[in-house]
Amino acid sequence: MLNEVKELVLKDIRLNGRDRNALYSMLLYVLCTSYVAYLSFEGNIDEKSWIALFWIIGLFAGINACLQSFKKELNQQSLFFYTLAHPKAIILAKTIFNSTLLIVLTLISYFIYSLFLGNPITANLSFILCIILGSSALASTLTLVSAIATKTNNNAGLMAVLSMPLLFPLLLNLIQTSEICLSENNLFVASNQLLFLALLNIVSVLLSYLLFPYLWRD
Amino acid sequence: MQSKWWKILGILLVLYSIIGGLLFPVPQLNILNETIRNLYFHVTMWFSMIFLMLFSMIQSIRYLNGMDRTRDIKAETLASTGMFMGILGLVTGMIWAQFTWGTFWVNDPKLNGTAVTMLIYLAYFILRNSIENEDSRGRIAAIYNIIAFVMMIVFIGVLPRMTDSLHPGNGGNPAFGNYDLDSNMRMVFYPAVIGWILIGSWIAQLRYRIKVLEFNNEIK
Repeated sequence: MLNEVKELVLKDIRLNGRDRNALYSMLLYVLCTSYVAYLSFEGNIDEKSWIALFWIIGLFAGINACLQSFKKELNQQSLFFYTLAHPKAIILAKTIFNSTLLIVLTLISYFIYSLFLGNPITANLSFILCIILGSSALASTLTLVSAIATKTNNNAGLMAVLSMPLLFPLLLNLIQTSEICLSENNLFVASNQLLFLALLNIVSVLLSYLLFPYLWRD
Repeated sequence: MQSKWWKILGILLVLYSIIGGLLFPVPQLNILNETIRNLYFHVTMWFSMIFLMLFSMIQSIRYLNGMDRTRDIKAETLASTGMFMGILGLVTGMIWAQFTWGTFWVNDPKLNGTAVTMLIYLAYFILRNSIENEDSRGRIAAIYNIIAFVMMIVFIGVLPRMTDSLHPGNGGNPAFGNYDLDSNMRMVFYPAVIGWILIGSWIAQLRYRIKVLEFNNEIK
């Protein structure tokens, strides 16, 4: 099982390495939105809007990144995969890959975003922890939702409708945590919020692990 | 669920809670005053909604394990009845808020949780209606229904407890629970909760039977 997960993650990394269009388009998206934010705020943005905008950019980057993640597995080659791998291994591998991708993407966008709009965050350690936990929670929820949306053949439209309500509370929590990171340079002040993010991670991974096999079989 | 006793019990309990809720003595608290009676009608709707959603999720789990189509119809009717109860809870809450807080809607964690719950279940109905094939519709909808319920519990169970709320009982606001454990109110409140859950299940059962009849008609 673990070996299977490892192989599947490596497969995804190799596929993305071969066809880098998706990755570049996401980086361009982050660059463009950060620059648009810079232009529309003319460089001076207040702290609350900084945080809100940052996470909204992160949210849409996540939706874009996870949208296509099951395009191959569930449509074109599903029978082939069916004979090769266990569905639980497939969803775990996808979740790990998407989480890593989104964490890297959000960290890069944090860098680009603060290049253009400045960086009001004082507690960098808690904020980076918040980025890591938040992006992986985002990615694991979105991976499951994208699997559902791919199954309905109306991918892009349903993806936003299905994932947005599930992600609202996560987004609220991320904004709250970031606001704490503005002033308090202490990991323990935000520990409740960070624990909640970790809990969301666990819940969504567990749900995908248990439910994906039912989605998989046709 | 064929027997009649629980329907009669539901009617009696709800009747009792309406009469008792409007006539029995209540503690006089600041700000709340007589609007505290809304507890019998507003909070009970949420309890009933959560229980109906729970039943719906159980039906979804059983559908996934047996692929019995009636379970799918049951899950859908239970969820839509729960949604109806939720809308009633929202409306009673908004009317109460107008009298107590002065506005219909405030930025409060409990209200946000409610709004999110509504949106999640609306997404569930949209998902259901967007799939043509009945077998895959049932399966995908059941999966989303389970996710929806678990997420709803996380959002309305955990999230509001992390921040202060304007609701009675939170952030130093008066409520009946933490002040004097008013036994008069409990005597009406708990029967009302049970009564509304029973009435909700009854509505769901009727809608389920109509759906089954429609389904059979289509086959003929």
